Amino acid sequence: MQLTGRPDSIVRVFRVLLLIAAFLASVWATRAAGADPDDAEDPAELELKPGQVPEDTATYRASSEVAAYTDTDNVSVLTPSIGFGIGNLNGASLRASYLVDVVSAASVDVVSTASPRWDEVRHAGSLSTEYKPGDFGFALGGSVSSEPDYLSYGGFGRLIKDFSEKNWTVFLGAGVSRDVIGRCGGIDGECTPFSVFSRRVLRSTLNGGFNLVVDTASTAGLSLDIVFDSGDQSKPYRYVPMFSPSVAPTVPRGADVDWVNSHRLPERPLEQLPLSRRRYALTARYARRMGPATLRLMERGYSDTWGMLASSTDARFILDLGKRFAAGAHARFHVQGGVNFWRRAYVSGAGWDLPLYRTGDRELGPLWTATGGLGFNAYLGSAADPQRWALELTADGMYTSFLDTLYVVDRKAMLGALGFVGSF
Amino acid sequence: MRSSRPSALLWFACAASILLAGCTHVAPYQRGKLAHPTMTADDQGPAASHVLAVQEGATGGGSLAESGCGCN
Repeated sequence: MQLTGRPDSIVRVFRVLLLIAAFLASVWATRAAGADPDDAEDPAELELKPGQVPEDTATYRASSEVAAYTDTDNVSVLTPSIGFGIGNLNGASLRASYLVDVVSAASVDVVSTASPRWDEVRHAGSLSTEYKPGDFGFALGGSVSSEPDYLSYGGFGRLIKDFSEKNWTVFLGAGVSRDVIGRCGGIDGECTPFSVFSRRVLRSTLNGGFNLVVDTASTAGLSLDIVFDSGDQSKPYRYVPMFSPSVAPTVPRGADVDWVNSHRLPERPLEQLPLSRRRYALTARYARRMGPATLRLMERGYSDTWGMLASSTDARFILDLGKRFAAGAHARFHVQGGVNFWRRAYVSGAGWDLPLYRTGDRELGPLWTATGGLGFNAYLGSAADPQRWALELTADGMYTSFLDTLYVVDRKAMLGALGFVGSF
Repeated sequence: MRSSRPSALLWFACAASILLAGCTHVAPYQRGKLAHPTMTADDQGPAASHVLAVQEGATGGGSLAESGCGCN
């Protein structure tokens, strides 16, 4: 990601988002004005008379969100996104989403290679459909993510089967995606065409599990993900400092750019990662409704063939404040060990004798991250169905401690999002 | 780089057994609480999902409909 900004495309994107937001607002205003508090459907009226054609039960859902991220490593991201869905269409449903990441970064990794701040725009879209007229169904989908130096596209399929009056739902899916990694940052920031330089990564995913009803107020789920990565994922911008055998043990945690530059060896090779990786994740979920509140818990255990072990624990608590408002709290804790070729200071022998695998990617090293956040929902629908239209505001603060890295020892970050969701 | 740890499927089977042990049959008309919108799993925005994908070395537990993180 070493690119120049594209102000024209950013302006165009925001124009489109403003138009969509205006459309959503006008639809909401029309619906809200025409809503009758007494228009709730009487269950008796839903029963069909002989010869009567069933009504169209399709439901439509639209959403938009604008999120902003900033951290103490001089990275900021603005992410507007939109989504649209159709459900209950005789057992079929359709979902589509589109987002834009506008990234600006002058992180220590950029500074340490004497590179200027870069700006970049990423576009990502997804489309999926599900057909499940009874207890058995299937889902298909695809997604694409594009930026000047990185293209990713993929698809998936999933089988779904309900058992015991939907007390159980079992699913089994597979997906495949392809990443094309390029390079930008030449004179005037131009990019090298993918046909001249690119690395290809093929990713295959197997996913299976089940969701179940525990009791009248609780649900739980368990899923297993197996991911096979094949290809060279090494970053073409990431240069790894090398140290002599005598200096390497003395490199302090968080050594700054000046210290590293004054003690490292002249050679500074590019990152090199293993060419394949198998990843396993086991995820358990639990949700419980308690009076006016909902508690949601998630635990994910992770392991891969690069030697990384990780645990992610996530908890959300949402409390209804009457019919029109809800407030929530979010906490997450992630801890991971480093990959087995992780070194704070890599050693180079005489004559360009480099370690086979080397990386400066802090997310491959040992770290922990604590996240805390708050959320607030305002329900704007009719009196009979206030949650049909909702305004959602969330703010999360994240603290990451890097346990064995150069340049930085921690990172503080903020993520805020304002969303608007409507069903009609 | 072959791991000698217990297989993922074994962990899955153990966790599934524990989960299933405490379940009771709930009829459809008893599921009013379960239908509340906050009980659904899809409560994380796209930006938050992307931040986690970039900042955590682990993956999994989310939707299959994902493309690469674009974190070149």
